[in-house]
Amino acid sequence: MSEPGGKHSVNRKWIRLTAIVADREIRQRGRSRAFAVSTIVLLLVVAAGVVIPAVLAHTAKPQRVGIVGGQTAAMTEIVREAGHLTGTGVTVVPQPSLAAGEAALRSGQLDVVLVNNSEVVVKQVSVADSSGSGGGLASAIADVAGLSRLVGQLPPGAADRGVTLPVRGLTPPSASLSRRLTGLFTVVLVWVLISAYGSQIAMGVGEEKQNRIVEVILASVRPIQLLVGKVTGIGVLALAQAALMVAVFLGLGAAVGSSLAHGAAPGIVIVGAVFLVLGYAFYCTAFAAAGSLVSRQSDVGSVILPVQVPLIVAYALSYTVIYANGANLFYKVLGFFPPTAPVAMPVLYAAGDVPAWQAAVSAVLVAAGTVWMARIAATIYGRSILRTGSRVRLRQVLARGEAA
Amino acid sequence: MTVTSTAASPQVASREVSLELIGLSRRFGSVVALDGLTFSVPPGQVFGFLGPNGAGKTTAMRAIFGVVALEAGQVRWHGQPVTEQARRRFGYMPEERGLYPSMQILEQLEYLGRLHDMTAASARDAARRWIKRLGLAGRESAKLEALSHGNQQRVQLAAALMHDPELLVLDEPFAGLDPGGVDDMTEILAERARAGVTVLFSSHQLDLVEHICEAVAIIHRGRVVAQGAVADLERGDRPRLAVRVAGDQAGDWAARLDPGVASVEQVNSGLVILTLAPGADSQKVLDAARAAGAVEHFSFASRRLSEVFRDVTGEEA
Repeated sequence: MSEPGGKHSVNRKWIRLTAIVADREIRQRGRSRAFAVSTIVLLLVVAAGVVIPAVLAHTAKPQRVGIVGGQTAAMTEIVREAGHLTGTGVTVVPQPSLAAGEAALRSGQLDVVLVNNSEVVVKQVSVADSSGSGGGLASAIADVAGLSRLVGQLPPGAADRGVTLPVRGLTPPSASLSRRLTGLFTVVLVWVLISAYGSQIAMGVGEEKQNRIVEVILASVRPIQLLVGKVTGIGVLALAQAALMVAVFLGLGAAVGSSLAHGAAPGIVIVGAVFLVLGYAFYCTAFAAAGSLVSRQSDVGSVILPVQVPLIVAYALSYTVIYANGANLFYKVLGFFPPTAPVAMPVLYAAGDVPAWQAAVSAVLVAAGTVWMARIAATIYGRSILRTGSRVRLRQVLARGEAA
Repeated sequence: MTVTSTAASPQVASREVSLELIGLSRRFGSVVALDGLTFSVPPGQVFGFLGPNGAGKTTAMRAIFGVVALEAGQVRWHGQPVTEQARRRFGYMPEERGLYPSMQILEQLEYLGRLHDMTAASARDAARRWIKRLGLAGRESAKLEALSHGNQQRVQLAAALMHDPELLVLDEPFAGLDPGGVDDMTEILAERARAGVTVLFSSHQLDLVEHICEAVAIIHRGRVVAQGAVADLERGDRPRLAVRVAGDQAGDWAARLDPGVASVEQVNSGLVILTLAPGADSQKVLDAARAAGAVEHFSFASRRLSEVFRDVTGEEA
């Protein structure tokens, strides 16, 4: 029986059958209690992550501000005004000299030092801070002190130098903590979603193999259609959940004025989204192939662990990058290695350790790796999905000329 | 021993052929599952597919659906190699039953119908119709796992019938059915065959096969060892006679028969079972019996399908 309508119609039929499979996954899983519960729990975690730091920031501990030179009363007034503007309690501690002030900064006894009419010194300046954001008290002091200098003295050329006093850091600048925390949020999201939905894929494949419906389905569709339909359907749910979480993160962040959401520069959101999609694409077929190796759903856990190892490594090490100054070379390599890049690259980018073009290069590498992984995974899946009995060994499946 | 009675049943031979399995071969490691398996099934018939465990029935049925790869051979449908599109017009009930346990049965049937090129609306209609027909009305939104084993089997049958298939392939459809289920299944298979559908099913229950099928193929070690109309197979190429002569409990009269006419198989309290020699005339046996005394019983004794099965496979069904 020849296929009428030529290649075009065959392709459309191919897509139609795949879409029917995807549609079932979305309907069945989308209205399951597990999906509702996981969505609510994740949203609560996101909401708590945004709101709690913002609430704590309003009751921040008083900042100790050193003053060097000038009239103590006038400078204290400047610091108090800046504290008032930023909602921060301040304690003014006069310092005998700039050197003494810097020493106190390094030891953590002081948070900011105002040097009369010339500069504001802090321990570390944030690299991504544009004026007025993230710097908090130090930039407010710089603003107020600069204004008072302008108003009080109007020295020649003051306008040229600008109104605000310069803010100087004692150690080299780095990405702001809020930017890093946004990076952490991104990584947790990528890791949680890929692991959770990857497990669902593997469990779903294992279920179909265990209860043998796969034989009924494969009598009318090809294995690759079942595979693509399943990962697409589950992927749509994963992305919907991710989009909801990002929306809540940004929306709530804007509402409570969280510095966490402030740090979510569009760049981090975009890089996070790109690597979430790429990471899912890279891992979804691998999870499906792993699930196809077992005959009982209860054995799925043991076969998906090896698939998750690169993600676990990149995820665990991401904390060292987020709280360190500058990623080490090893972690940078992980950022370009397709299995680890989906987690590592958003961290590196958020921490300011790689420029945007390097993130783009990494994305291309992951995309290429995805194609490679999908081919191998589709072969494994197609050859093992109908084999029952003992667990299928990878070597058996990939041996030349083997078929179901 | 191979029994082929195709030549003796012209009404089968002259009929059009829909499904053909030609020289199917497949090994699993050192186990030969199919060894050049060849037979054909005419449309509009209920065709039984018999063989001892491990004979290759399930592998052959899977091969029809392309879910097992063949080393050699071809499955043809109306003279053409089977395509994916043709397969979506087939209905399949695999030996290892399988559906989604936690999916509602109406949705599940609708899904499977759509995978067989039905529109969502027509799949839903067909699902409702079959659910009703199989006595499951009112359970549409029940999950499969909530149904009894027998009812799950009915849903599985509905899954195979949803899209009005041109070919129905059922692997052990009667296994695990209660008597009511057996009756429903029998009725539906006969009805489908009357509608022109080619029905191929495997079974170990030879009494049922005898009752339902017009023709069968018996396979052993991956090859066909007997095939043809059930009636022909039961008659066999050497007819058997059952004869009783009054007063002769030991069947002594038969012991004196010329071996060129008939040979005694067994004697059951005077009832002698004889196998007629090839080409011999049954009337010679009757003459001999009448010469020995009053003939109380004289009939052709057909063999049961189970005996044919035992003869050609050397095993019990």
